[in-house]
Amino acid sequence: MVSQAEKLLIDVGSTYFKVCTPTSIEQHFRDFNQDILDDLMSKCGDTISRFDKQDVHICSSANGGLSTLIIGITNSFSLKYATNIAFNSGINIIDTILFQNIEDYSVPSDLIDVVIVVGGVDSHSNLYSEKIFSYLDQLNYSNAVFVGSTQDSQSMRDNIENLVVLPNIIDDKLHIVEEHLKDYLTNLYQQDIEGKEEIKHLYEITSNQILSTPYVVNRALPHIETRVSVANPFILLDIGGATTDIHYSKDLVDENIVTENEYDRLVFKRLGVYKSRQSLILAAQSNEFVYELLLHLGVTENIYNEQTDKATKILMQLAIFLVLCKMSHYRQSYVNLRLLQINSIVLTGGITKVLSQDEVETIIAFFYRKILSSGHNPVAVMDSNYDIWTLGTKV
Amino acid sequence: MKVVTGVVGNDIHVVANRLIDLSLKARGYEVYNLGVNTHLEEFFDAVVETGAEVLMISSLNGEAEGWGREVKLLKSKYKNLDDVIMMIGGNLVVGSGNTEDIVARYRKYGFDLVCHQIDLNTGLDMLQSTIEERFPS
Repeated sequence: MVSQAEKLLIDVGSTYFKVCTPTSIEQHFRDFNQDILDDLMSKCGDTISRFDKQDVHICSSANGGLSTLIIGITNSFSLKYATNIAFNSGINIIDTILFQNIEDYSVPSDLIDVVIVVGGVDSHSNLYSEKIFSYLDQLNYSNAVFVGSTQDSQSMRDNIENLVVLPNIIDDKLHIVEEHLKDYLTNLYQQDIEGKEEIKHLYEITSNQILSTPYVVNRALPHIETRVSVANPFILLDIGGATTDIHYSKDLVDENIVTENEYDRLVFKRLGVYKSRQSLILAAQSNEFVYELLLHLGVTENIYNEQTDKATKILMQLAIFLVLCKMSHYRQSYVNLRLLQINSIVLTGGITKVLSQDEVETIIAFFYRKILSSGHNPVAVMDSNYDIWTLGTKV
Repeated sequence: MKVVTGVVGNDIHVVANRLIDLSLKARGYEVYNLGVNTHLEEFFDAVVETGAEVLMISSLNGEAEGWGREVKLLKSKYKNLDDVIMMIGGNLVVGSGNTEDIVARYRKYGFDLVCHQIDLNTGLDMLQSTIEERFPS
C-alpha cells in the first residue's frame, strides 16, 4: 500500500474516466458494454489496488444531473433566485413557469426529477390558487419542494402529495437565501448519483462519499490560481460527452444576485460531443454563423456525418463556439456574461486532450470577431493535467 | 401598509433613496427598498412578491421621463395590480418644465400621485391622504 497521505482520485464521466495518483494521471474511454467498476478495474486495476478504500475519492457526472421545473410568481425574484440556486446545485432547468400565466404553458411529457414552487415574502400569503394543483396533477414528477412564503406552506402541503417544505428563499428584504434549497438539491443530486446501480458498485473501492463533478470543479475555483495561470476575470468551460458546464465569476453578470459564492455555474444539458452529439449538431445547424465557421476551419457540413477524429475535433470546436454564443448578448438567455471583460477562458475535461491551444484560440478569436465585433482576445488556458479537478477533490 | 420603493433607471442618487426609506419607516410603513438603478419590471415584481399596496418610484436625473412611458404597457401584463397606489417623485424632467404639464403627463402614464420637485414630507402627506381614500379603515 502507498503512504497514508496519498490519495487516488477518480472522475467518472459519461464518456471518459480519469484516474489520478500523486504521480500520474490516466484517462480512458469508457467501454459501454461493461459495468463502470469492471471497466475501471480492467484498465486501472493495478493502480486502484495500491490504495486503501479511505484514500480513494470518486466524483461523477455520468448522468448529467437532475432536471427541474420551477414555478414562481415573478421573473425578477422568485424564478430568478430559484433558477440560480438550482444551477449552482448541479440541477438542469427544464422550464420556468410564471404562475399568473400557468394556463398558457404546456405540460412537459418527460419525467421531472424535482418541481420547485416558490413565491412571496413571509408576510404575504395566498399567492397560489387551484390552478397550480391542476397543473401539477398533469405533471409527471418524482419530488416537489416548496420554498415560498411560510404562510402558504400549510395549504401547499395539504394539496401536494409528499411535498417537502423548506424555509423561504426570499427574505424580508427581498434578498436571496440559498442555503436550505441548495442543500436539499445537492443532496438529491447526490442520492441520484448514488442510487445508480453502476455507481453503487464503486463503493467497493471507496469508503468516501461519491460527489458530483460540477460541485468538485466549482469549489476549486476560488483557489484556481494556485494551480493554473489565469488572469481574472475568467470563465471555465467543461465540455464533456453529454453536457457542457460553464463556471463564471459573478463579476461578469450584469444583474448580480448577492450570495456567498464567488462563482456561479450553468449547465447545457444537451451540448456534448458523444452522448449529446446529435443535439450539438442540431444546435450548430440552427446557428447562422456556423457555416462560416466551418469554412474557416476548412471543412463542410458533411463533417457532421463522419465518425473520425477530425470530426470529433470539429464538434469540440463547435461546442466552444456555441456555448460562448449562448452566454453572450447575441442570445438572450438566463444570464448573459460580459464577455468583453474576460481575460482568460479556461478549458477543462476531455477536450484538453483532443484540441491544441491553437485550435481553441482560433475559435475564440472567430467568436469575438464575428459575434461581438471585437478584436478582444482572451487567453485560452488548457487544464490538460486536470489540475482544477484534482484541486477540487482536495479542497 | 407595505411600500415598494427605489430609484428608476440608470440613476444612482442613493442619498435621496435613503431619506425616503427612513422617512417612510418613521411614518410606520413596511418598506421594501430596491435601491438605485432599478428596472421598471423589478418594481412591479417586488409589489407582487410582497403584496405591497404602494409603489413609490423616485427619479433624480430625469430618467423617469423615458421609463414612465412604459408603465401602462408593463402594468397591463400583470393581473393583480389594479389597486396599487402608483406614486412617482423627485426631479421628473431633464432641464425645466411647467409643473402642471409634468404632473398631467405622468398621470397619463398611469401614476396616481406625481410629486415633481416637492418637499419629501409634503409628498408623504399626499400619500397618506390617498391611502385613506383608497383603503378606508
